[in-house]
Amino acid sequence: MIPELPHDLAAEAPSLPPTTGLLLREWLLIGLQSFGGGNATFALIRQTFVERRHWIEPVEFNRLFALVQIAPGINLLALTIVIGRRLLGWRGLLLSLFGLLLPSVVLTTLLTAGYAHIQNTVIAKNALRGFLPATVGLGVLTSGQMARTSLLEAKKGGRLSLSLGLGVLLTSGLMVGLLGWAVLPVLFLAGSVHAAITAWQRRAVQPEEPTP
Amino acid sequence: MNPLLYFWLFLKASLFSTGGFGNLPSLHRDLLAHGWATEPQFAESLMVGQIAPGPNGLWVISLGYLTDGLRGTLLALLAITLPPLLVLVVERIYRAVERHPAVEGFMRGLTLALSGIFVVIMLNLLHTTAGMNVRTLTIAVIALLLGATRRVPFPLIIVLGAVAGILWR
Repeated sequence: MIPELPHDLAAEAPSLPPTTGLLLREWLLIGLQSFGGGNATFALIRQTFVERRHWIEPVEFNRLFALVQIAPGINLLALTIVIGRRLLGWRGLLLSLFGLLLPSVVLTTLLTAGYAHIQNTVIAKNALRGFLPATVGLGVLTSGQMARTSLLEAKKGGRLSLSLGLGVLLTSGLMVGLLGWAVLPVLFLAGSVHAAITAWQRRAVQPEEPTP
Repeated sequence: MNPLLYFWLFLKASLFSTGGFGNLPSLHRDLLAHGWATEPQFAESLMVGQIAPGPNGLWVISLGYLTDGLRGTLLALLAITLPPLLVLVVERIYRAVERHPAVEGFMRGLTLALSGIFVVIMLNLLHTTAGMNVRTLTIAVIALLLGATRRVPFPLIIVLGAVAGILWR
C-alpha cells in the first residue's frame, strides 16, 4: 500500500461526488484565488477538477478544452460552462459561472480602481516581474500535463500513432511560435491533417472488402 | 454615451471572436471612433486583466469600469458572459457526430496542437509582459517545479513569485 502523504493536495477527498455546495465552493475558490489572469485560472481549473476532485477524466478535460476553442468569446468561460453542465446540468452551469465570476469580477473592478495609485511604485513593478513568470510556469506545467494525456492516448494506437501525435504537437507549436500563424487556422489544419492521416492509416491496415 | 450602443459594441466584439483578447481589435476600433475610450485605458485594462483573478478576458470588465463606471462594468460583464454560452450548441453538434472516425481524428489532432500552441503562447506572454531573462525564466521554472510536486497550492506559488520579484534585484 502506498502511504498517504499528509500534504499531497492531489489526495484530498478524491471520492466525494459533486454536489451543489461543493461545486459552488470550488468555483468561488478559483474565482477568488486565481490571481494572475488566464494562466492561473486555467491551471487552477484543471488542478481542481482533474487532479484534486477527479470529477473530470484527463482525456475528457482535453476534449472539453479543445471544444471550447471553437466557441465564441472567452474560452475559459466556455470551459466553465461545459464543466458545470457536465457535472450538475443547468444548475451546475449557472453555479459555476456565478462562482467563478462573482469574486473575479469584483476583484478586477477593485484592482482597476486602485491600479492608478500603485502602478508606478517600485514595489508593484518588482512584484509583477516575479508574479507574471510564476503564472507562466504554472500555465506551462498545465499544458504539459495535457500534452502528456494526449500523447499517452495516442500511444495506445501504436508507435506510428504516437509519432503522428508528437509531430502534430510540435509542428503546431512551431507554426504559431516561429512563423507567427494565427491560432485558429493552425488548430483546424492540425485537426484536418490528423484526421486525414488517421483515416488513411486505418484504410492501409484494414483494406476494404472487394466488391463483387 | 448611448448605453445600448455601448453594450452592442462589447457584445459584437466577443460574439465574432474567440479567446480572451480576440475582441481587442474590434473594441479598440469602435470605442476610439466614438471617443468613449482612450489608448491608456486600453493599456491599463489589459494589464489588470493579467493580474486580477479570472480569465484574461476579464480585461473587458476593467475597460468597462474605466470608461463608464459601474454601469460599464455590468454591461461589459453581460456582454462577455453571453457569447460563450454558444459553446452548448457546439457541444451538441459535437456529441451527435463524435463517434465518426473523421471527427474523432480531428478532435485528437486539435487537442494535440493545442498543447503545443499553449506553451508557445505562454512563453510569448512572458516575453511581452515581464521580459525573458535569467530572473524571469528562473522564477517560471521554479514555479513549474513547485507546482509539479502537488504539495504547494498554486495561489501560494504565485505569491512566492511576487515576493521573489521584490527581493531579487
